[in-house]
Amino acid sequence: MTAPGSPMLSPERVDFDGLTAAVQERFSAVVSISRADKGVALSLLLRDPESLPPLSLFLYWEIGCSFGGLVVEEIAQNWRLSYLFLAPRSGWVSVVLEFPLGNNSVPSITAVVHAADWHEREAEDLFGLKFENHPRLGDFILHDQIWPEGAAPHRKPQRKSVDVHQPHLRRRPNPNWRPLLVVQDPGSFAMPVGPVYEGGIGESLHFILETVGEDVLRAAPRLFYKFRGVEKIAEGVPVSQVLLLSERFAATSSFAHSLAFSSAIEKICGVEVPPRALQLRVVLAELERLRHHAGAITGICESTVLAVAASQAAIIEEELLRASCRLTGHRYLFGLNKPGGICRDFTSDDFRDLLIAVDLAVDQLRILEDRLHFTSSFLDRLEDVGVVDLNKARDLNLLGPVGRASGRCHDLRRECPYGGYEQYQFEIPRENEGDGYARLRVLFAEAAQSAILLRQAIDTLQPGSVSAPCEATHSGAALGWAEAPIGAALHWVRLDASGLVERYRVITPSFNNWLGFHVAVEDFAFQDFPIILATFALSATECDR
Amino acid sequence: MSFWFWHGLWNGIRSTRYPGIVESDPGVTPGRPVATEFASPEQASLAAADCPVNAIVAQGSSAQVDLRTCVHCQRCRFGGAYPLEWKQDYEWTMVAASREKYVPLPAAYRRSLHIMVVDAGDCGACLHEVKHLNNPFYNAHRLGIFFTATPRFADLLLVVGPVSENMRVPLLKTYEAMPTPKRVVAVGACAITGGVFGSGFMSAGGVSSVLPVDLEIPGDPPPPLAILHGLLTVTGRKALAPRQPDFGRTA
Amino acid sequence: MTASTWIEGTLALFFILSGCGFILSATVRDKYSVQVIAYISALCSSLMMFASAATLATGGSFEATLWNLQGLGLLQVRLDMFSAIFLFAAGLVYLPASFFVRNFLRQRFGGRYPARRYGALHFALMASVVLILIANDAALFLISWECMSILCYLLVNYEQNRRTDTRAGFILLAMSEAGFLAVVIAFLIVGKAASDWSFPALAAAAVHLSRPAAWGVFLLGFLGFGVKAGLVPVNFWLPRCYTAAPSIFVPILAGVTLNLGFYGIVRLNVDLASSHGFGTGLFALLTGGVTALVGILYATTDNDMKTMLAHSSIENAGIIVAGVGASLVFRASGYAAPAAIALTAALYHMVNHSVYKTLLFQGVGDIEAVTGTRDMDRLGGLARVFPALSVVFLVGCLSISAVPPFNGFVSEWLTLQSLLRSAVLFSPGVKILFALCGASLALTAALAVTCFVKVYAMSFLGIKRGAWDPNVRRNVGRFQFPAAYLAVACLLLGVLPTFVIPALNRAVEPLVGASAATSLVPQFFTATQSNGQLPAPFLADFHNLGAQVGQHVLPGRGLVVLHRGGPENPVVFAMSPSYSLVALALFLFLTWLIVTRSTRKRSLTRNELWAGGIPRLLPEMTYTATGFSNPVRVVFQAIFRPNIVEDTRDTVAVHFRTAILRRRDETHLVDRLFFHPVGDAVTWIARLLAGMHHGRLNAYIAYTVGFLLIILFLFRLS
Repeated sequence: MTAPGSPMLSPERVDFDGLTAAVQERFSAVVSISRADKGVALSLLLRDPESLPPLSLFLYWEIGCSFGGLVVEEIAQNWRLSYLFLAPRSGWVSVVLEFPLGNNSVPSITAVVHAADWHEREAEDLFGLKFENHPRLGDFILHDQIWPEGAAPHRKPQRKSVDVHQPHLRRRPNPNWRPLLVVQDPGSFAMPVGPVYEGGIGESLHFILETVGEDVLRAAPRLFYKFRGVEKIAEGVPVSQVLLLSERFAATSSFAHSLAFSSAIEKICGVEVPPRALQLRVVLAELERLRHHAGAITGICESTVLAVAASQAAIIEEELLRASCRLTGHRYLFGLNKPGGICRDFTSDDFRDLLIAVDLAVDQLRILEDRLHFTSSFLDRLEDVGVVDLNKARDLNLLGPVGRASGRCHDLRRECPYGGYEQYQFEIPRENEGDGYARLRVLFAEAAQSAILLRQAIDTLQPGSVSAPCEATHSGAALGWAEAPIGAALHWVRLDASGLVERYRVITPSFNNWLGFHVAVEDFAFQDFPIILATFALSATECDR
Repeated sequence: MSFWFWHGLWNGIRSTRYPGIVESDPGVTPGRPVATEFASPEQASLAAADCPVNAIVAQGSSAQVDLRTCVHCQRCRFGGAYPLEWKQDYEWTMVAASREKYVPLPAAYRRSLHIMVVDAGDCGACLHEVKHLNNPFYNAHRLGIFFTATPRFADLLLVVGPVSENMRVPLLKTYEAMPTPKRVVAVGACAITGGVFGSGFMSAGGVSSVLPVDLEIPGDPPPPLAILHGLLTVTGRKALAPRQPDFGRTA
Repeated sequence: MTASTWIEGTLALFFILSGCGFILSATVRDKYSVQVIAYISALCSSLMMFASAATLATGGSFEATLWNLQGLGLLQVRLDMFSAIFLFAAGLVYLPASFFVRNFLRQRFGGRYPARRYGALHFALMASVVLILIANDAALFLISWECMSILCYLLVNYEQNRRTDTRAGFILLAMSEAGFLAVVIAFLIVGKAASDWSFPALAAAAVHLSRPAAWGVFLLGFLGFGVKAGLVPVNFWLPRCYTAAPSIFVPILAGVTLNLGFYGIVRLNVDLASSHGFGTGLFALLTGGVTALVGILYATTDNDMKTMLAHSSIENAGIIVAGVGASLVFRASGYAAPAAIALTAALYHMVNHSVYKTLLFQGVGDIEAVTGTRDMDRLGGLARVFPALSVVFLVGCLSISAVPPFNGFVSEWLTLQSLLRSAVLFSPGVKILFALCGASLALTAALAVTCFVKVYAMSFLGIKRGAWDPNVRRNVGRFQFPAAYLAVACLLLGVLPTFVIPALNRAVEPLVGASAATSLVPQFFTATQSNGQLPAPFLADFHNLGAQVGQHVLPGRGLVVLHRGGPENPVVFAMSPSYSLVALALFLFLTWLIVTRSTRKRSLTRNELWAGGIPRLLPEMTYTATGFSNPVRVVFQAIFRPNIVEDTRDTVAVHFRTAILRRRDETHLVDRLFFHPVGDAVTWIARLLAGMHHGRLNAYIAYTVGFLLIILFLFRLS
């Protein structure tokens, strides 16, 4: 089933009631509506799996929702699949499908919602679910060259410290493994890049670039070399330990992820976070965003080998790291969030120092942006390179600064305000060209906006405590989210009766954007590859978890 | 276009003079917990219980710190009833627990050390700190430390991350592709003991279960100065931190 | 016995032996026929070389009169020094080719095509080639030329059951006939005023040709012989034919019959009917430059080894003809010494080309016999299968890329240097044309290096990419004599130019009127004091260059210089492959010594290839020949004008690509501009004429009557 052209209902006009009414009108036979999960505005329990694609089509293309992710759980003797959609003006909508464990076949919605492609592949690799009509399953997280078929390590009976010598999980290198090549030209070849990154210091990721010598016709990524199984490690573990996991699987957005996790736990426990804590969370999240964008800008300047600009951006980033360390005691803001609030308070002297550092950083970023604007050799390498138009961005659900550079302006801080963001004035920058330079401009603009938000939060800081007691003692499930520097991050947590984590699902913005990356950049010149990679500023570790 | 040249010159020299001086700029290091004496063994045990990774060991009424396991969560610093003392230093590199003694690289490498960095599943913090060694503040080039893109030219293998399962074979191949003499340094708590990931079906729990490790730089992440200190100890230009007492843990 | 008698005896023996060879190989059983071909052919080629060497050494020429044919006149033969060069080159190539033929016939064609037929054709071709070279009479020349063309066609279509390739033979035949027709007309124009058909008489008559007639002779002769020589408008048969011809015959096609084209061009236009304006020379120069560039462009981007070598032959033909053209221009402007240098360079290049092209074609034949494929995209890793051939093939690649100390370097250097001598000419337009041509040849040389680096690296080095079995080694050792012989010839021709140039000079001097040897290799060793030819400042320069190094030790001079031979001026440039070889050997030895001494204590470990940590580097991950030469395709896209058809298949949605199929269709430039239009024109005319053949008897009677009337009318008029 393919997606139709234009939506029939205008997305801006559909509010929550309108959405509920439309769903009831169209799908009343197969859907029952509930509000069981916290954080989710609308839960649609689907009785008939076959109507999953039409419902997804309706939500994605007619209502204009964006696709959040897929959460797969094993509860009692059933599978429970939750497809998360973000409806504009309404909040999160989850389409829930439950069916017995013995049956593991589900219709695939990839034809309708292309962004669901990797979510379904991950579910197949880790849980063994079969998605009918999915164009390509297999060799995703568990690489075919070492993992045998049917491993499904996330299934309940497997333990997280599973004995690697067990026959069905024993890894054997497969000497006959060959990558799946798409280009069929007699003179084409597939150039491997990675996994040990060969550009110096970089994350481990693997690309197979199919080319006939000048232009790269197809760049197929094989990620998940850094997959550590964070979701599985978290099972049966107390919340305080999982908090460590949530902030340490991706360090450059650690505060945002720990914030999303903490807010999920707070929703389960029904705890209200004190206002000062919310404001401090905004300060720290924006500080992290500012520092992350400075790092991304450094990466872009390094990829084009504009050495002085790269050094200047690196100085800015280092100053922000030092400012973070002076303020909180850790350069990457680890160990600050906890369910209920923040771990410690700060004095006004701390904030004064922070503001001095932030203002200096913003000034220097502005100077850098001006200088770069007049460096034509630099712009030549970024303009019209790696162009992603709005349709493709929409199709592939690109999030964060990358999506905004193509005109797809989604930001959880606006659409689904959390943590007090609704009381601040800030802009979401947006560009339309979708090329490398547009992405760079969005990074600069967002960094400036982060500084504005930070200052507003500090200026309006209310006195009070910085945390509320939050003990996880009962079961429940909730969705927590945050706008990480790369895009929207979703954390789904389910606690069991004794307050230990039963299921922890992390949906990261890099996971979404990597899918978009390899499709959006085809037919590029080989020399542009590191530059396109740098302008996307994606994190393999965040994607791999 | 030439303004970049003047722009760079005008910004001046920002490099630290470490190792010539002791760098004390606040913010260069998060510091580390140090062994603290408490009033009673109960207090020490309560202080030890604060640590989510069991890096604090109560021995009598003193709380000893296993720095190799510490993940810098700072729960023992803020928020606990019995906080530990923290020291703002950064020279933490020690000999790997599985080694008796460390043999430095020959003197020819003192001012020309080529390093191959392999990311074996790390969170990004340690890798970032390693990348920051090339920024104008730390400027590893002035000390003759270079990063290569291929193991064939490398003298030192720097591994970050707990060695995820999919990176096991590439890491081994990288090590085997390096010519002798070569050394291996594990950077960060994940690389030393597995950090918060431990060992499991997808992570090996530290580099030492895959490769013979020579030096370990603890921290999560160790700041760039700690890594720089570690790199200087590889050729013997700086002294190693004393070996920790054995806390009865396997490597 | 005088030299002339020796030569006569040798030639007579040659013809007798080739006759015997013809009869024996045609009658004896296949098994022995192969041996007969090899040994008798080898003997014949040795006789060819002996005869030509004797002529060059003694300076005598041998003349004889054969039969007197009614209507065609007296058939005369003459082996002068110019023919001797070509005869020597032919013999040089036929010798290894004989053994190559023996090995190959046994291997490949045993049972499928009769060796007898091949043998008969082979000896007939050899005899006709020699007859062409020694003919002193237009009738004998033309008769043997036609025989040679037909024999070539028969040999090209030797594997006649391969339907797809026989078309190439037909194109060859058609073009050969067209060229022959042009040459016949050229000779007719010259001979209209001559007393008889012998070459000296024609030369005397050519002096009185009017200007348009002279141009007509030149163009017809140039393009007519240019068919065989492989020049641009008329060479579209060459790539097709070389690819289709059996591997045993292609070395002879490229090494012997190509040279006959040059022989014809030079004989007709330099010896017999030399014009006195430099328009013709410029035409030849420009044609040569364009041919060279077009040839190498297509060679660099081609993946089939045989076709690539065919295009490379076109390139070398262009270089040779450019040298001939330059020589014509210089001579017409009155500068005989540069003319001699240019012509010497062209002849040297011709000899060199025969040697290394034969070597390369034989290598390709061996490769195809073992792996079954000639596609460079499917080869790779051959150095393990053919360790000895890889060394010898490397020598061939280095020679053709003009890398010292091999022979290609010497002739390319001389050609480019002679083009630089255009500084002496007056007309700025001519100088610009020379400069453009020189630039074109320099670009050609650079592209040639790219091409042959690709050939060697993609075929011999790296990982095996195709599906052939690497453990098959059939008689690999026995292929080595021909290859080694040619490799050694490459080296010797490259290292001893100071001996080759005086030999070539003996042929060039009578044609041009000046001695190239005095300009290029003056008597360094014996000139201790200045004389008229070598004034004192020159001697000083020579000695500064080290001209007298090894005076009492070496058998010959080591330096080749470009000496203008006038009262003022000095040596312009010098080169010495012999000294370079010595220096190279010395440096290699010193390096080896230093490295082994200083690393004595170190151990060598062999390790797996580093490929970024992937489990195994697969063949599909290594560079292909197409990928290597793609930049050239992209840069010269305006010449190639490819038609790239890309078809993508997706499944569920646009971005789930399952296949991207690409096909690149290209028409050769010469085909596009010349062959297809001419073919279309011919078809059009044929269609018009076909209108006459409608089967009505009355009309045919009318045609006959009309024709009779016209003839009567014409008779009436005259």
